[in-house]
Amino acid sequence: MHDQEFWEICLEHFQKLLPSQQFNSWIKPLGYSLIDAKIIISIPNSFTYKIFQERFLPVVIDLSRKYRNKEPEVLLRIDKKFNVTTHLDKLENIRTVSVKKETTFLHSSHLNSNLIFDNFVTGKANQLAHAAAIQVAESPGHIYNPLFIYGGVGLGKTHLLQAIGNAYKTVTADAKICYIHATNYVSDVVKAFQTKKFDEFKNYYNSLDLLLIDDIQFIADKPGTQQEFFYTLNALIDANKQIVITCDTFPKEISGIEARLTSRFSCGLTVAIEPPSLEMRVAILLRKSSGSLNPISEEVAFFIAKHVRSNIRELEGALNRIEAYSKFHKRNINVELAKEALKDLLASQNKQVSIENIQKTVSDYYRIKLIDLLSKKRNRAYARPRQIAMCLARELTHLSLPEIGNAFGGRDHSTVLHACKTIELLRNTDSTINMDFNLLNQTLRG
Amino acid sequence: MTQLLLDIAPPWVPTLENFVIGRNLELHTAIRHGVASQGSARSVYLWGETGAGKSHLLQAAVERARVHGQTAVYACGAVPDEAQVVAVDAVQELADEAQVALFALYNRLQERGAMLLVAGNAAPAQMQLRDDLRTRLAWGLVYQVHALNDEEKSQALLQHALARGFELPADVTQYLLRHGRRDLPYLLGVLEALDAHCLRMKKRAATVPLLKEVMRLE
Repeated sequence: MHDQEFWEICLEHFQKLLPSQQFNSWIKPLGYSLIDAKIIISIPNSFTYKIFQERFLPVVIDLSRKYRNKEPEVLLRIDKKFNVTTHLDKLENIRTVSVKKETTFLHSSHLNSNLIFDNFVTGKANQLAHAAAIQVAESPGHIYNPLFIYGGVGLGKTHLLQAIGNAYKTVTADAKICYIHATNYVSDVVKAFQTKKFDEFKNYYNSLDLLLIDDIQFIADKPGTQQEFFYTLNALIDANKQIVITCDTFPKEISGIEARLTSRFSCGLTVAIEPPSLEMRVAILLRKSSGSLNPISEEVAFFIAKHVRSNIRELEGALNRIEAYSKFHKRNINVELAKEALKDLLASQNKQVSIENIQKTVSDYYRIKLIDLLSKKRNRAYARPRQIAMCLARELTHLSLPEIGNAFGGRDHSTVLHACKTIELLRNTDSTINMDFNLLNQTLRG
Repeated sequence: MTQLLLDIAPPWVPTLENFVIGRNLELHTAIRHGVASQGSARSVYLWGETGAGKSHLLQAAVERARVHGQTAVYACGAVPDEAQVVAVDAVQELADEAQVALFALYNRLQERGAMLLVAGNAAPAQMQLRDDLRTRLAWGLVYQVHALNDEEKSQALLQHALARGFELPADVTQYLLRHGRRDLPYLLGVLEALDAHCLRMKKRAATVPLLKEVMRLE
């Protein structure tokens, strides 16, 4: 195939594929040449470079496989004058970036500019975490370091983490910020091992001004990663650089992570995010929908919030579904439409939580026998789980208190009432009980 | 004497066009639009009973994306590599490790503005998956794939027969729907066997007696 022929095929393909405006801005300015069987693409600026690499490069590679019948080696170069590279340029003189998987730790900050403090809805369940996050964003590295935020899935931990990064970035534009999910951190460590680029890895992480690491529980049972993270943590804290960590449980409860790390986690401030109350769920829905063309009414928000209770992601998923339904049927959103849109989801959810299910889940959770949970035994190892189960039964079923008491080995309704009051009190003072309760609650609600 | 058959029937490819929509028009449209709107992060979760058409829709979405020049990949009970459109079928079969892989893939695709389609046998809240994965699947658009009713099934059978180039009289479809199991994969399987049987017997059109023979053999 002639040198330029392949590029003409690509251009033709993109011309068909893209609207002319996009073709003119992304594809037309590119330069193409073929040197030593390597495809060289000159790109006018780094922005176009990024777009090209993400959106169009896979297509070029596919086309090359199809028309040139070989695995292509494509080199991208940023050339401000966007001269087409000629044979006269020696290949080695061209400052290129190979598109083959490069080991580099220079991540972009990975900040999502939509996740900011302004659109984070606060309530009793998360106000402490929110306040701590704001303080950390205002004076990073000085107040709480590390800041450790924990809570169940889909309650807004990532949102807070990103909001800290975005807030810090607006104040200090040139700050080196990195948001990374723990699974990606693990793969960075693996890459460093494989390519023997530990210095580069360390230099990168130690040079950060703000490290936001999400879902730290994913480094459990990975001793190599834990060791590296321990060094990073120490280096950053010693240099007064801020670290914010999120996790699905509080530090002492994480299993598979070395004690020296978990004790480091809790040496700053540890704050919890709890499942949102009904009012807060309504507020979240109203806030989320306020940006759309067809915002929902309070009545609709209450309808959704009453039916989707477990976490914010499912809440937002339900709202997405209603908006899509309204757009598709070209009808305004009201409670009637919301009911129709969520019909399938609600029907699948209507499986009522039974008291037997609660008793079984609680006894499994505490590893006690069901028979002991229902027995008259009063020692705390049984009494506490029993009280939690009663409290959950009151919250999750429509049974009367005497019925609940009866189901727990023929107890009186006042025992149930007492159990509920005790657990409510304990939840405010004992974080373990509170976490157990939330976890069981979420599990049972599904 | 029976006619020997050469195995040269055209491979049947599931597409959005040959999907009998039934009560799934909104879902069908959502997938069509989802594949067409490149560059933004999209996640669609489909659930429904076996034979409702989940795999068809997933494969059709991948096929459509490839026609649009996007990289697209489909995997059943496994987590594939990254692409611009990724479809993961039978998510309930994923083992723990694969669930972590899908979780990481979800995050990466969201970051890069790609499309992820996942299908499972129950609504997200009922799936026995990791919490972090389950809630993410519930975050995007969630649709139940409604199985076809009998009338729609006979339409699907007719369309399928047409694609294979043989006639399917109404009484044959009716007999099949009354006497066979009524999930689409089974029905289509019988249809293919019937087609082969007709050719072997050198009959042009399918008849109820031929169908009975095929069903007896099944």
